Amino acid sequence: MAASTTTDMITLTIDGKTATVPKDTLVIEAARQVGVMVPHFCYHPKLSPDANCRMCLVEIEKMPRLQTSCSTPVAEGMVVKSESSAQAQDARKSVLDFILANHPLDCPVCDQGGRCDLQDFSHEYTATTSRFNELKRVFQKEFFSPLIETQMNRCVQCLRCVRYCDQVMDVKALAPVGRGTLTEIKAFGTHELDCEFCGGCVQICPVGAITSRLSMYEFRPWMLKRTDSVCGFCGDGCQITFQTKNETLIEVNSTHGAGRNNGDLCARGYFGYHVSVHPDRLTTPLIREGSVFREVTWEEALELVAQRLSEIKTTHGPDAIGGLITGRCTNEDVYVFQKFMRGVIGTNRIDSSVRYGHLNGVHAMQRVQGTHRWTVNFEDVVSADVLLLVGTNITETNPITGLKVKEAVKRHGAKLITIETLEPAIGAISNIVNLSQHHLGVKPTAYGSAILGMLKGVIEQNGIDPDLQTMAPEYCKDITAHIQAISWSEIEEQTGLTSSLFEKAAKVFVQGLKAVILIGSGVLRTSGGFGMTVNLLDLLLMTGKLTKEGCGLAPLAEENNDQGTFEMGGIGAMLPGGKSLGDTEARNMFSQAWGRTVSDLPGSSLPQMIEEATNGNLKSLFIVGENPLASLPPSSGIHQALGNLEFLVCQELFMTETAQQAHVVLPACSYAEKDGTFTNTEGHIQPVRKAIEPVGESRPDWEVFSALSVGMDDPMEYLDVKEIGKEIRNLLPGMRTLGPAPLPAQPDSSAISRYVNSDYKRDLSARYQLPPRMSSGQGHVVLMVSQSLFHSGKFSLKAKGLMQIQSEGKLFLHPKDAVRLGFDEGDRIRVFNGLGEVYTKVAFRERTPEGVVVFPEHFDREIRRLLPYTVDPETQVPYCKLAEIQLGKIVAS
Amino acid sequence: MAQYEKILLKNMEQPGYTGSLADYERADGYQALRHVLKEMQPDQVIEEVKTSGLRGRGGAGFPAGVKWGFIPKDHPGPKYLCCNADESEPGTFKDRQLMERDPHQMLEGMVITCFAIGAQTAYIYIRGEFRLGTKILEQAVQEARTAGYIGENILGSGLTVNIYVHPGAGAYICGEETALLESLEGKRGMPRFKPPFPATHGLYQMPTVVNNVETLANIPHIINRGGAWFASIGSQPKSCGTRIFCLSGHVKRPGNYEVPLGIPFRELIYDLGGGMRSDKPLKAFIPGGASAPFLTPDHLDVKMDFESVAMAGSMLGSGGVTVMEEGTSMVWAALRLMEFFYHESCGKCTPCREGSSWLLQTLQRIWGKQGRPEDIGILEELCGNIAGRTICAFGEAEVAPIQSTLRHWRDEYETLIREAQATRPRKKDIPVFTH
Amino acid sequence: MLLSKFQTEVEEILSHYPVKRSALLPLLNLAQREDGFVSESAMRDIAKVLDLTPPQVFETVTFYTMFNLKPIGKFHLQVCKSLMCALVGSDDVVRWIKTKLGIAPGHTTQDNNFTLSVVECLGSCGTGPMMQVNDDFYEQLTEEKLGRIFDDLARDGTCPLKTGPFMYPLPLAK
Repeated sequence: MAASTTTDMITLTIDGKTATVPKDTLVIEAARQVGVMVPHFCYHPKLSPDANCRMCLVEIEKMPRLQTSCSTPVAEGMVVKSESSAQAQDARKSVLDFILANHPLDCPVCDQGGRCDLQDFSHEYTATTSRFNELKRVFQKEFFSPLIETQMNRCVQCLRCVRYCDQVMDVKALAPVGRGTLTEIKAFGTHELDCEFCGGCVQICPVGAITSRLSMYEFRPWMLKRTDSVCGFCGDGCQITFQTKNETLIEVNSTHGAGRNNGDLCARGYFGYHVSVHPDRLTTPLIREGSVFREVTWEEALELVAQRLSEIKTTHGPDAIGGLITGRCTNEDVYVFQKFMRGVIGTNRIDSSVRYGHLNGVHAMQRVQGTHRWTVNFEDVVSADVLLLVGTNITETNPITGLKVKEAVKRHGAKLITIETLEPAIGAISNIVNLSQHHLGVKPTAYGSAILGMLKGVIEQNGIDPDLQTMAPEYCKDITAHIQAISWSEIEEQTGLTSSLFEKAAKVFVQGLKAVILIGSGVLRTSGGFGMTVNLLDLLLMTGKLTKEGCGLAPLAEENNDQGTFEMGGIGAMLPGGKSLGDTEARNMFSQAWGRTVSDLPGSSLPQMIEEATNGNLKSLFIVGENPLASLPPSSGIHQALGNLEFLVCQELFMTETAQQAHVVLPACSYAEKDGTFTNTEGHIQPVRKAIEPVGESRPDWEVFSALSVGMDDPMEYLDVKEIGKEIRNLLPGMRTLGPAPLPAQPDSSAISRYVNSDYKRDLSARYQLPPRMSSGQGHVVLMVSQSLFHSGKFSLKAKGLMQIQSEGKLFLHPKDAVRLGFDEGDRIRVFNGLGEVYTKVAFRERTPEGVVVFPEHFDREIRRLLPYTVDPETQVPYCKLAEIQLGKIVAS
Repeated sequence: MAQYEKILLKNMEQPGYTGSLADYERADGYQALRHVLKEMQPDQVIEEVKTSGLRGRGGAGFPAGVKWGFIPKDHPGPKYLCCNADESEPGTFKDRQLMERDPHQMLEGMVITCFAIGAQTAYIYIRGEFRLGTKILEQAVQEARTAGYIGENILGSGLTVNIYVHPGAGAYICGEETALLESLEGKRGMPRFKPPFPATHGLYQMPTVVNNVETLANIPHIINRGGAWFASIGSQPKSCGTRIFCLSGHVKRPGNYEVPLGIPFRELIYDLGGGMRSDKPLKAFIPGGASAPFLTPDHLDVKMDFESVAMAGSMLGSGGVTVMEEGTSMVWAALRLMEFFYHESCGKCTPCREGSSWLLQTLQRIWGKQGRPEDIGILEELCGNIAGRTICAFGEAEVAPIQSTLRHWRDEYETLIREAQATRPRKKDIPVFTH
Repeated sequence: MLLSKFQTEVEEILSHYPVKRSALLPLLNLAQREDGFVSESAMRDIAKVLDLTPPQVFETVTFYTMFNLKPIGKFHLQVCKSLMCALVGSDDVVRWIKTKLGIAPGHTTQDNNFTLSVVECLGSCGTGPMMQVNDDFYEQLTEEKLGRIFDDLARDGTCPLKTGPFMYPLPLAK
């Protein structure tokens, strides 16, 4: 032990090769680094060693017997023999002999065949004969789950699946059942598996014991073509590998070590890929004729669109046309779209799904820290010592960022503070607040008050950074004064939490050396979202953490390319690169580069466009991949607005509610069929690669914009996506795909200085007051329409795997509320408020707090009628996720 | 017949002794604890136990004082003592008697041990089937708590020791100390790989000592009479004190016998145990529980101490001595034990998990006169591939009966296989399986 | 709910451990004592009390042989068949039981009174052959003793032949 006090590096030899590795490295990892691959089943770098398979035995000089290299840390001067040890080789061969004794040897019908560790090691150790003359152990085949197949006769009982489910996922859905050789992996009793369906057990199984039913018997691994790309669901930006056979999408997986996700996926990523090949995909352009659509050629459709847009532009001016694009498109698509709108049409009336909430985070960051990106990355989340989660519901919205949080807490002992509408409770899916040391459970209407409580806690224990007090005394004084004007009793009344809880959490936050705040839709998509986000940046500023390395604010992007869509100019008022339209220099630069004048007339947000269309000032909308009729409630006026339009074009994958209203529908490619880049929630730009040919006649979005520009006699032509990328990088040198671990953005000190010296005052009073309380009448509960782990927008409703997990929306409520209201699980009930009434089934969920009911937004076709709609005065973000409602039994008439 | 002074069984052999607190106190019980609390420092207690040469009575025979000495002194969090009362090694039934007949003796030992290692909490992990023992221990803990020997501020000294009885639920492997800890944590009782050892990362990853019932029961006596006294008993320098040997099988008077370490097996079996139950001579005996290799009549004069038995190719183990008379089939005996080990293999390590069913099936075939000439070679090879290649000692244990019976009575296997060949010619040769 | 019925006991058990999961085996014991086996609903209840998932309880239950996952007869006869008892006649005991009660290992009598299991070593090697009936040990079994035990159990629910605090051999009377 004393030998390595002076150095943290250890030198040892493995099969005669010298390795120098950090202390605490395991022998198996040290060996890997010098090219000695020690065979193993149970070891996995993500899991704590279990040393159960005994395959990785090595001979270590001065140790009495063979040692498992997966559980033995290196020591100075250690002499390890792996392949060079006859004894170790003999032991491994015998382990294979033992495993193969009971193995069914059913490789011909095993989907793992060809990529199976047991096959590979058997080959390596030429385990061709066996002296096993006894009866093989046979497990009864049991149905495990519609998505996951278990074949326990193939199991080597390494328990990687069980350990992954527990240690990494924190789900604990798998049970090794029985003892000794009769142990098999099951769920609970004879029940089907009920879990997060992350596919991790399938991915981590070294043999064919756990496989995916979605691709069962459809391939041999060597037939598959691998295409590394990026998942198209949430903003985490996981690297996925599409596995295709000819032009058929067979499966999606991710390799350990790959991408920002390190090979981990969620249900959407692992089981959601069929969305691209759903039979409902639009395959030809469609033109409306009366109440029906006619299939037409691309030429006819493009000609009509170009002609109508030109007419409207000529008759009513360019601002009579608006554009709306989804944050699911690639950076290149969005860039060409906004260039088309600004350059060819000549309007800044552009908006995108960033408006639904992510914009609050981006704008707040721009305002306070200068950069519109996180100043931290996933590595900082993992190595943080304090994490504050506010309104994230992270497991369901951004599951892989959630894994980073879990890793920080479970493996590295980070302290977790959560302000969430969740109660600690064990369920089929993991619950981040179960890991929280300081859980501040609030209703979704009380996030603002809870954030003020945190700030008050900081101020009351003199947690203000002394340097900041010197640099910006007035700012500190003003915030303190505003905070102190709010009493604890008011905060306690609004949040239902005692001041001591805030004080304790604030103390932990102040003491954090590396503190990261993650925020989600609870903040970003909830009334007051912009102000709350700025207040959280105040919290970082006040505690001296905003500019500290490893500290920062991390707003979670809900859609895969929300961040990129903003950065590519998918918001009318913001030019590419996050530059303001009001910035003449920037406007001139783009005008010059594009050879087209960028108008200085301000653009419109989606809420404004709704107004303009209703007033008759907006005549046409070009909607790309967005479905505002399904994203916004009727109270937004969207139905009337769209009905008023002279010409509506929808470029879509599917015939959505909005597309049904369109005059022309253009079929677009999904993420599996095109090249480009996505920018993930961290601001990391990653390559998206085409895995299959476009479905039907669908085309990548940018190609359509380019073709239209030709049709409108103002051609912007590109040979391919790379050319677009080149143009973007020429204009915005920072916009390049970065290495595997990008450096986070740096806060801009001039922006901070502007903020703390004057800008903060602009809305100080508005931000530092308790939000008005919802007028909770007797019997009212808060309805929260929110994201489910198993879906992403309405898009994933076309993924057959995900529909097998969750195929309908149910109203989740706490069992105690159910008892109070006399509901049984599965009852159909009446949900109503001033806006209307709907009927839905109820389901119990203990993590939903009492007084709150949750409905998955993906199935909100009916229930969104009950949602009121307001717009953020500063950022124009529409708020429509919460409602006060009442619940009632259906009385038989 | 030689008479030996009994230490552990002394009280309970007094007429009318019930094991109640009052009885124990009358027999000078808890005097050692009083002495320790008044006169001694924890280190002195550890030194005294080191001096005594007391070695673990559970099976592995590790010096108790040395084990205690591994507990880090400056550890900031809690430390634990676990009493291993999961007596389940076939052939062993001494702890049951110590617990049911004189529970305070071990409780006193536990409190002193907690004092020595700085633990405030101790658990007695008793095998689940010992319902009576569990009840008796729970009562005894309650009595001792009421009398101020357990709990907070013990005898006014400021020392806090809480003792809880924790029943298992039927798993032999939980007698292995790390499996015991896993089980105590409410998990599947599977051994942990070592290092780290329980002394630094034990129960809840905190420093922990796990000692057997008999080991702990010796502690008050070592304190009362001194480590040197204890060390003077038995077979110096490495096998000090007395041991309770559990005699079973084909003897006239089976049962628990406390004798100094180092008497010959012959004395235990023939003098104390009264010799063979019938006129059949002794054929084989197991010297230390089911995990210990079988010995033969040639070994009857081997001294019952750790080293001598090891020299003879077996081990003193848990102290369970099982005697088999002439006429007992050694293949059958090995099979019966193999059935036990197959049933109890936890399944963690591949060689033990898969090897146990393979060994069992092969033995069953041989005993069922379905053996083949190559089976003996297979058995030997399998045993070699299991022993030494698993996390815990179960691997060595499960092959011991087969290896030792093959060593001493190979002809019995050969005869059965020959009979199989002669009397039941197989209809067709099963080909050697090729993958 | 089972656990609310035993609230005091549950709280007492929980108070023994700094980590809740440690209470798992004791609570399962409690459940089995109440129902004669560990039911799914008991596993769910216990999981809830200990902040575990039902699979975590299930994996633990199935590791330990004392837990029955199905209901069994009123008296669970567990005959030790390990070598030490086998040397002194445990196979005979199984045979006698078959004659007397008509059940083979794994079976339950028609009246649901007796379930027979053969088990591995129960720690009575010096006093075999033996069996455990519910909480009690019966040792040095003979055919005659067995008859009396079954009669007593069927009639009184208990039998005085059960072993008390164990000591063997008994000290010779002076």
